[in-house]
Amino acid sequence: MKTLNSQVAIEGKNIVKYFPSGETNTKVLQGISLKIMQGEFISIMGPSGSGKSTLLYILSGLDSPTSGSVYINGTDISHFQDEKMSRMRRQQVGFVFQFYNLIPNLNVEENIMLPLLLDGKKIRDYRKQLDHILQMVGLLNRRKHTPRQLSGGQQQRVAIARALITNPQILFADEPTGNLDSKTGLEIINLLKTINHEYGQTIIMVTHSPEAAKSSNRIIIIQDGLIIDNESGASYLQSSNIYSPPMSSGMFYGHEQHQA
Amino acid sequence: MFILTIILKYILTNLKEHKLRTSVMLLSILLSTILLFVSLSIGASYESAQKKMARGMTGSATISVTTKDSATGISLDDIPDLPEIGVKVGIITGSAIYHKEGYYESMDLIAAEIKALNQINKLRLVNGEEITDFSGNQVILPDRFTSKFSIEKGDLITLQVKGMPVTFEVGEIAAYDTIFLRQTRGTTALFPLDTLRKLVSQTDGYNEILIEPAKGVTTAELKNALQNNMPNHIYDISEIVNEAQIAADARQKSMPFFLISFFALTISVFIIYSSYKVVTLDRLPIIGTFRSIGATEKEVTKVFLFESLIYGLLGGLFGIPIGMLILKFILRGIGKTLSNGIEIPVIISPLSIILPFAVAMVVSISSSWLPIRRASRLPIKDIVLGRVDEKHVSNKATILIGIVLFIISIILPRIAPKSMLYPAGGFSLLGLITAAILNIPLITNLISSGMERLYEVIFKGEGKLSARNIRDNKNVTQNIALLFISLSAVIVISVVGNFVTTYIIDVFHGAELDGLANGDMDQSFVEKVRNMDGIKKILPIYIMENSVQANRNNLIRLEATDNLDWYSSMFALNYSNGLLEQAFYEFHHERNILLSENCMDRTGISVNDIISLSYNGMEYRYRVIGSFKSRATDAEAVIPSYYATQDFGMQTYKLLAYTAVDPEAIIIQIRDLFGETPNWSRTVKEFTTDALATVEAFLQPMHSMTWLILLLATVGVINNLLINYIQKRRSIAMYKSVGLSNRQNIQITLLEGFSSGLIGAVIAVFVSYLEIQTIFLVAGPKITMVPELKHSTFILAGIAGIVINLIGSVAPILKSHQMKLVEEIKFE
Ligand SMILES: Nc1ncnc2c1ncn2[C@@H]1O[C@H](COP(=O)(O)OP(=O)(O)OP(=O)(O)O)[C@@H](O)[C@H]1O
Ligand SMILES: [Mg+2]
Repeated sequence: MKTLNSQVAIEGKNIVKYFPSGETNTKVLQGISLKIMQGEFISIMGPSGSGKSTLLYILSGLDSPTSGSVYINGTDISHFQDEKMSRMRRQQVGFVFQFYNLIPNLNVEENIMLPLLLDGKKIRDYRKQLDHILQMVGLLNRRKHTPRQLSGGQQQRVAIARALITNPQILFADEPTGNLDSKTGLEIINLLKTINHEYGQTIIMVTHSPEAAKSSNRIIIIQDGLIIDNESGASYLQSSNIYSPPMSSGMFYGHEQHQA
Repeated sequence: MFILTIILKYILTNLKEHKLRTSVMLLSILLSTILLFVSLSIGASYESAQKKMARGMTGSATISVTTKDSATGISLDDIPDLPEIGVKVGIITGSAIYHKEGYYESMDLIAAEIKALNQINKLRLVNGEEITDFSGNQVILPDRFTSKFSIEKGDLITLQVKGMPVTFEVGEIAAYDTIFLRQTRGTTALFPLDTLRKLVSQTDGYNEILIEPAKGVTTAELKNALQNNMPNHIYDISEIVNEAQIAADARQKSMPFFLISFFALTISVFIIYSSYKVVTLDRLPIIGTFRSIGATEKEVTKVFLFESLIYGLLGGLFGIPIGMLILKFILRGIGKTLSNGIEIPVIISPLSIILPFAVAMVVSISSSWLPIRRASRLPIKDIVLGRVDEKHVSNKATILIGIVLFIISIILPRIAPKSMLYPAGGFSLLGLITAAILNIPLITNLISSGMERLYEVIFKGEGKLSARNIRDNKNVTQNIALLFISLSAVIVISVVGNFVTTYIIDVFHGAELDGLANGDMDQSFVEKVRNMDGIKKILPIYIMENSVQANRNNLIRLEATDNLDWYSSMFALNYSNGLLEQAFYEFHHERNILLSENCMDRTGISVNDIISLSYNGMEYRYRVIGSFKSRATDAEAVIPSYYATQDFGMQTYKLLAYTAVDPEAIIIQIRDLFGETPNWSRTVKEFTTDALATVEAFLQPMHSMTWLILLLATVGVINNLLINYIQKRRSIAMYKSVGLSNRQNIQITLLEGFSSGLIGAVIAVFVSYLEIQTIFLVAGPKITMVPELKHSTFILAGIAGIVINLIGSVAPILKSHQMKLVEEIKFE
């Protein structure tokens, strides 16, 4: 088990996001600030439409904020031009989507290697790394399959492998289990947990599942575009009355918990 | 019912919102209908024009009756009143020579009752009026002749008739059409009946009576009836033209149009089908939603079929009237030249209306039905969640079928018996295209695997990705298939079109000949020409027309030469059955003879026969050492000069063929040399220019049609690229989400466009080469000319394909620059 070091992995400062809709603007994020340390496994929760995905896209550089800034490793990425932003995306972050978003005509291996290829890396230098990751996600014997030959859970594992192949600073996941049955979902969460646990991989995950959130070491609750709980999420989980077992997220990694 | 209304409303808004895609789809249906209609109609019109040209003066008359004794005339009363007879026209014929500025033009003079003549072949005056008051020393001449010699209506011209000068007034100028059309050189001139009667001293009866069969009566029946009712020892009853031959020739010359129809059909099927497939795929989520709120599969299918029915109807309803306008326009494009050229009869057959209409409907409906049916088999959940990507079929069976079909298509036209050549050719053309389409995924995968390695070295990861992206990618395969069909259509049509153009215009094609002098020439004349500056080769030839019999068959034209080698190359003799080198050598040493293949067919003589040539009651035995085909000479037989002088007393040359540095200068000197002696002397260039002037208008439609098919192909490719972008949008977003930059996107998209263009072009070049082979195998036995395959045609078409694809990549690049990444990834 790795211990958390106290370096900031990513920091959001007063992030605001408007979407123009007709005459008026929809204020989706109303000034969000947060700091996430390296090695943390964060769950972001909140009601539907509260701005969770929007926040994740902005943090990962897939979208840009209307105002405010995002620092990854101390660098403000919110004003990056396409070329820099693309490089940041393939080197510093990994993203796992609810619907996997694999390239259908590429096989498992090729999908995983994609970010390296785009980064101008020689594939053959990364054979070992690939094997290692394939083993980790349990797809060693599926490497030549195309996405449509895989189950949902397997596809999501490929997506995770692809997000990890570049050794990113942060792994983002937007409802990675949202499209899976609860058993498969749990397997994916366990995989993320292992990755976080054994390799100290920083993970920021949006989820609706208390079960999944339980595995992280901090829960951030968002409502109406604002962070209402930055700590444990206990109040949210209780008030929404969807969470029956006692809150235990702090128990696992209690000693590692970090105050933002 | 409520749901149907909702879906219908949805479709209407969809039409409004996807204006571009809808209009491209409608446009392609419309264009296909138009093109199919126009090409079928022009093909038919063209074929009938060719037939008309081949019939020439005799028009719809098919039987000619003459007396065996040419001294006595034949009167209309000599022909019994038979029900098989439609129209009979008495014709008086004569000949004359026109001489001006060194040119000698031979003239066939004809006269007939104008009213009767109009019934079999309507005379058309340039000024569009009817003939009135045609009598006395008037003559009607075709404008092809008058324009060449700058003769106007009302001018006086002098003709040498039986060596005597007679002066006539040009009463009218007629179009070079109907009775003035001819297959041989020279000019036909029409005279008032009484005038020509006096001129050729044919006071009673006619020289010839032309008979048109009554409605529903065949030429053979008419001929039979006449033979049974007229004394055979007095009258010669003969068929004027070989209908079957004419039909075959005409079909051959209108081949490009039917090829255009064929390709128009294949391209349309492809475009329409692929459009529908994508539209349905694009609408899958909506279909799923409708299904999930309770619309049955049938209801959804019905609505979509209804939609495509509307497209098909629109295509058909607008396509055919627009097609008629375009048809008129294309044929009118000849407008300027129409008055003085051959009028192309506009033939709109029921087939040319029904077929395009049916195609528009059937193809639209079945194209929309197939993808919908496929969609309806998918689980609703998958559709709703947008998890349907197209299955990629790399079915071994498909590939095997493709390969087998390919091989059969190549072999079939080569082994098919003569009677089955056309069906075999049709099968082969269709088979080659189908086989190519079936195998495109395989070929593309193979080539892209190679490219993947190559590109990785040259362009790094982006290169590898772009090559990889082509593989196992249905969009790309489809794009390549469409590009391939379009390009091969353009290649095949232009090669065949050029061929037909050359074939029609340039009878001296492939002949190593610069000029011809026709007239009486003695040895000293030949020597003078031989000594002219810049002369390279000179070949004097004896000609005997209708004076020698081969095994009792009249030889229409027997020629004699002392240099078979030169003779062969100057008149582009084609020894299709082979001729031994030795035969060339031996030819001059014995009584040897070469016969044209037509002559052999006609007389039943074959190679190696010993035949008798009879002349003036004497008989000589000649050995047939070979057979030939040629378009540059009308000779039926060729013998050595030495025996022509020995056996037939030839002394005066009739024809002089030459090659020279400056053919123009030589022909002027030759005309000088002839002086007042009638002669027909032309350079080959002059001859071809004359021929071109006549048929140019005739060939114009072919060029217009080639453009139209290019237009259809372009619309198809644009349509496809648009579709491609719709389908690629999402995957570009996915690439971007893992760090693809715009620069990389440009690089990959361009490389992809280039590579798939290259593959399409390579396949197109290869397959169209095979198609051309098939076409000429089918048409070949009757053609004496070898098609010329210019590398440039193939290369240009290939480059065009690549360029089209590159241009097509621009839109996706621009569009993906403005792409809202997050919105593409979030599935709405
Ligand atoms: N492109 C857009 N244009 C306009 N409004 C948008 C756009 N994208 C998101 N929104 C709005 O922003 C709000 C937040 O959306 P977001 O997807 O971040 O919610 P979420 O918290 O992820 O919800 P869920 O849990 O349902 O995924 C929503 O009200 C949504 O309507
Ligand atoms: Mg969300």
